Amino acid sequence: MDTERCTIPQLGLVFFPAFDWAISPDHPEREERLLYTRDQLVEEGLLDLPGVMEFRPKVATENDLKRTHICIPSIPAVLTKAHLIAAGGCITAAKAVMEQKVKKAFALLRPPGHHAMRLVHGARGFCTINNEAILIEYIRKHYGSHLKIAVVDTDAHHADGSQDIFYNDPGVLHISLHQDGRTLYPGTGNLDELGGPGAYGLTLNIPLPPGSGDRELLFVTKNLVLPVLEEFQPDLVINGAGQDNHYSDPLTHMQVTAQGYAELNKLLQPDLVVLEGGYAIEGALPYVNVAIILALLGMDYSRVLEPDGQRDLVPPPPGALELVKKEVAYLRGVWAKRREIDLDKIFGTAPYYRRERRIYYDTDDILEHQVDQIKRCNKCSGYRVIYSRAQKRVAREISVAVVHLPWHVCADCRAEAESAYERLHPDGGLDRVYLQDVEKEVFLEKQ
Amino acid sequence: MRYIIGIDVGGTNTNACLLVIDQGGQGHVLKMAKAPTRHEDLFTSTRQALAEISDEISSADCRDLEIHLSTTLITNAIVEGKGDPVATIITTGPGLAPEAMGFAFPVSLVGGVIDHRGRETAPLVMDEVRSALKAAVDQGARAVAVVGKFSPRNPGHELAIEDLIQQEFPGLYPPTLGHRLSGRLNFPRRVNTCYLNAKVARLQREFIDRIRDTLLWELAALSARTGQEAQKTRLRVFLLKADGGTIEMEKAVNRPVETILSGPAASVMGALALTEPSESCVVVLDIGGTTTDIAVLVGGKPLAEKDGAVVGGFKTLVPAFFSRSIGLGGDSTVSYQEGRIKIGPTRAGTAAALGGDALTPTDAIVLTEQGSFGDYQRALTVLENFSRNTGGSPRELAEEIHQAFCEQAVAAINGIFADLNSCPVYTVSEVLVPRGLKPEKIIGLGGPAAFYIPRIAHLLGVPYEVLPYYEGANAVGAAASRPTAAITLRADTALGKVTIPELDQVTDLARPALFDRRKAEQLALESARGYAEKIGAYYPEAQFEVDEEEVFNMVRGFYTVGKLFTMKAQVKPDVIKVVPK
Repeated sequence: MDTERCTIPQLGLVFFPAFDWAISPDHPEREERLLYTRDQLVEEGLLDLPGVMEFRPKVATENDLKRTHICIPSIPAVLTKAHLIAAGGCITAAKAVMEQKVKKAFALLRPPGHHAMRLVHGARGFCTINNEAILIEYIRKHYGSHLKIAVVDTDAHHADGSQDIFYNDPGVLHISLHQDGRTLYPGTGNLDELGGPGAYGLTLNIPLPPGSGDRELLFVTKNLVLPVLEEFQPDLVINGAGQDNHYSDPLTHMQVTAQGYAELNKLLQPDLVVLEGGYAIEGALPYVNVAIILALLGMDYSRVLEPDGQRDLVPPPPGALELVKKEVAYLRGVWAKRREIDLDKIFGTAPYYRRERRIYYDTDDILEHQVDQIKRCNKCSGYRVIYSRAQKRVAREISVAVVHLPWHVCADCRAEAESAYERLHPDGGLDRVYLQDVEKEVFLEKQ
Repeated sequence: MRYIIGIDVGGTNTNACLLVIDQGGQGHVLKMAKAPTRHEDLFTSTRQALAEISDEISSADCRDLEIHLSTTLITNAIVEGKGDPVATIITTGPGLAPEAMGFAFPVSLVGGVIDHRGRETAPLVMDEVRSALKAAVDQGARAVAVVGKFSPRNPGHELAIEDLIQQEFPGLYPPTLGHRLSGRLNFPRRVNTCYLNAKVARLQREFIDRIRDTLLWELAALSARTGQEAQKTRLRVFLLKADGGTIEMEKAVNRPVETILSGPAASVMGALALTEPSESCVVVLDIGGTTTDIAVLVGGKPLAEKDGAVVGGFKTLVPAFFSRSIGLGGDSTVSYQEGRIKIGPTRAGTAAALGGDALTPTDAIVLTEQGSFGDYQRALTVLENFSRNTGGSPRELAEEIHQAFCEQAVAAINGIFADLNSCPVYTVSEVLVPRGLKPEKIIGLGGPAAFYIPRIAHLLGVPYEVLPYYEGANAVGAAASRPTAAITLRADTALGKVTIPELDQVTDLARPALFDRRKAEQLALESARGYAEKIGAYYPEAQFEVDEEEVFNMVRGFYTVGKLFTMKAQVKPDVIKVVPK
């Protein structure tokens, strides 16, 4: 009956603009954010193109969330229906690609997710739960835990949430291109953040000097991202498509154009694209999203130009490209030698690698103190115990412990992790204790 | 008394129905008639059906007569590519290249850009418009469509081009302008809609002129019979549209494209007029001679196409009921392939039992019904001949044909529901269709409905209803239809402007800060009423409603700078309830 369905459409689109959800009425992450983008997509008639198929977002389930996150004190306490649909929409997009209903998919939705870490006490960087991480865990649960996945996050802000979740995960390569953390939230994403003892070299950060534009972004893509992907041979490439590198974005200091974004996607050819940030809602988003969609469709995007005639576009500062070239050279060196490096020199010789961090939740004004202990194991990536204390302003401090069993956890680590969970008691300063066993899909909690 | 004649020109037959409307506003069928449709001359079929019906009026006290006409004229013209050569002038701006929009006809791109909020970001280049029109006229264009990207947000460029055409190219006047045909966004669909409209405008005009002449003649004959003066009968003629609404014929001259796909709409309106609304999910099956049209009611309301009708491969913005047509009918071909009977999809011609020579599903019915209609002997002979290939007796073959017919109908219904449940493409009263829709009841109409509907319902395992007057229930539907009309209001208080494209209106708000939701709704309703009056869709009992509404705060740099209101207001779709005898 419908001959267009006989060949697999090039692009699946999941659109969820969350027109009734905002962090606060005048917040950049507000109802209006995707309004003009919707108008532009509809007026362009993009959904009528033979290569495009629209999907309804599903609602993420409790287990979809628990595979990735520990929501403290509970899931309903930290998030809303809109978050569940945004995460569910990403799963819908992933399913469409994995089940070959479409070749590629674009989850054009909000609220965004890439600042949300494994432990969620509230919202940070406008994000509460990590849409990309949730879709990755869904894929590994339903289509094979050995699937290798690469995330290339091109939001102007460092994808510190995704980095946190996959820091010690050998199945996920996480590359983040962002404005230098010394000049922008969240401040992390330096060259020396390269992954935990179980996945060293699989976290790569390229801090771009403020003022970098298409030239710098595309240089990194061609000279670092593509060669690394070529060698990693991922089963799936995901682009965390933040659009706040645009020259007209009010929150950042980058100079990327709609054409630059299209070129990036043409080069990268991601299987899945997930919208992250981007707050130039009238002058950039409508055009950047059309450009990305056309690039993913393999169509001509040369006419997608900002209507301001790029009046506010500033040339990159002198030396920006030179600096970026040095960073790329450094990271290619790390990548080439990642298997030969003596991990004991970096992570010590103790049976557990321990790191301490303070994490600030700017959106909800929460300060968290975290101690993360990773078992040094040569049979698996090592189980983890994470201790976390968090306090919102003058509210009572909440203190928890999380025992995390990664994919392909070895028998020794499993036994040790399970007894660690037995041993940890929600008293003596701990409000709650959680067990997160992704492989067996067992999520326990005691208080 | 108030009378309405409904005429539906179908693929095989033209049906007509005479309704009288009682004091309570309910309709009663006085007479049904039918005539074979002549595709080469729709006008004559229409006139023939009309003549049969109007005999009945002669005895009645006729003060007020309406004729509701559902024709295939425009649909056929589009499918067959008939009409005038059209010059299509477009303005675009950033986005998809015009070559990528897949237009099946040449377009001329001229300079000028309007953005998503309706701001002009590049002025219209008049010299380019002029030379594009000149070139088109040189190549023989006789009609013109003018469409700008985002023209519903600011029709300024389209209106300026219209002025230029009126002054410098009067032969092409009036043009079809995008913003007047639809206030909805979707530029490629708007271009298709306007192109088709411009292309068939002359055909529609000629048809309407002939109908008008005939009707005046019929009316004179009528008054001669009744002894009344013709002037005492108020005659109004309406055309049926794809959304089941009517439009006054004289006003339809400029909007012919809206009268496409009125046939399937007439079937749905017949079902709505002749049944009580039901909460369940109802499949409306109109089984004709050539095709079966399938539509769906949810909660008593017809499903609509989300963006607009698709006709002859053209995606348009014409509001339309959701309807799918399959090549399965009483006059379809019967073939024997790989040990199985297959019906359709092409038309075989008149059934042997009715004087033709091909075997059709109708012959199988004649045999099973033992000649309650048609020629039993001829049916038997044609089935006997065919059964030499298939084996078995003619009676067994007839059963196999019935079974194949019903199974094909069920397969089509199941396919439609699979599509409905997977794609977010259809709306019920502008609310997304809930997931997990499944057929819960069948309403059937069309010639062979009484025979097939019980069997199809049995296969699907759902209850059914065969409409009263099922043979011509689509004509009852045409008669029972009422006008529809809608406007789009867009108020942008930061720009201080209100735009109502359908009315060519762009007004400055005197005090933007005081313009609120209540005022926007009030203005939308008033404008819908004004628009209905302008296009001949107003009637005294009409109710007006705002059926889509979006309100956004616009925040720039942490300050609220204004509000955006987008509303659709309309004549509430309605139907005259028809009480069966």
